[in-house]
Amino acid sequence: MAEDIKMAKTAKCACEAAFVGLYACSGGSNVGQMANRIAVELTKQGKGSMMCTVGIGGNVPGIMKSTEGTDEIIAIDGCPLICARRTLELAGFTVNKHIVLTELGMQKNKELDLEGSEIKEMMTKVESAFDI
Amino acid sequence: MKIEILGTGCAKCKKTKEIVEQAVAELGVDAEVVKVEDINAAMDYGVMITPAVVIDGDVKIAGKVPSLDKVKEWIAK
Repeated sequence: MAEDIKMAKTAKCACEAAFVGLYACSGGSNVGQMANRIAVELTKQGKGSMMCTVGIGGNVPGIMKSTEGTDEIIAIDGCPLICARRTLELAGFTVNKHIVLTELGMQKNKELDLEGSEIKEMMTKVESAFDI
Repeated sequence: MKIEILGTGCAKCKKTKEIVEQAVAELGVDAEVVKVEDINAAMDYGVMITPAVVIDGDVKIAGKVPSLDKVKEWIAK
């Protein structure tokens, strides 16, 4: 018997405009953390939805099925190791846009805290270089 | 069997529910079809895009409306 459970209506629905999945490497460096932050900021701006990149590596069913349901995949990597892109491609997904922050001039180091000015600068570069 | 339709009540979610209910009826199986509109419940399954269909805890599809044949295939397994 059918039953409706009505609660919060905040799910990202595929009925809306093209669903853009944002996959950040979120790695253990300044550029990895910046990749994470850029995915957060783009999500806040409504330019895509941050997804769980690690869930792709872990082959988590809900995350894999959600990725199959995206219209466009953007991988955001901090450095040339391109872990996010590799993870997605190993799982059989096609990356439509690929951002590598070191290619936009950011120097990689082990710092994990980000300055507000750095975030603003990289957001401007990403939006400009990738027409996001 | 418990079949959950995860979605916000949009057109694709409603269509998905209709298809699932049709599949259940045509196969004559004893299944509880539940519509879940809570995003947190969806995210507990790792589902980040709706509609999604979950059968006995197993996510079958997300972000798309499944075909009737595909739903029947899932139920029959």
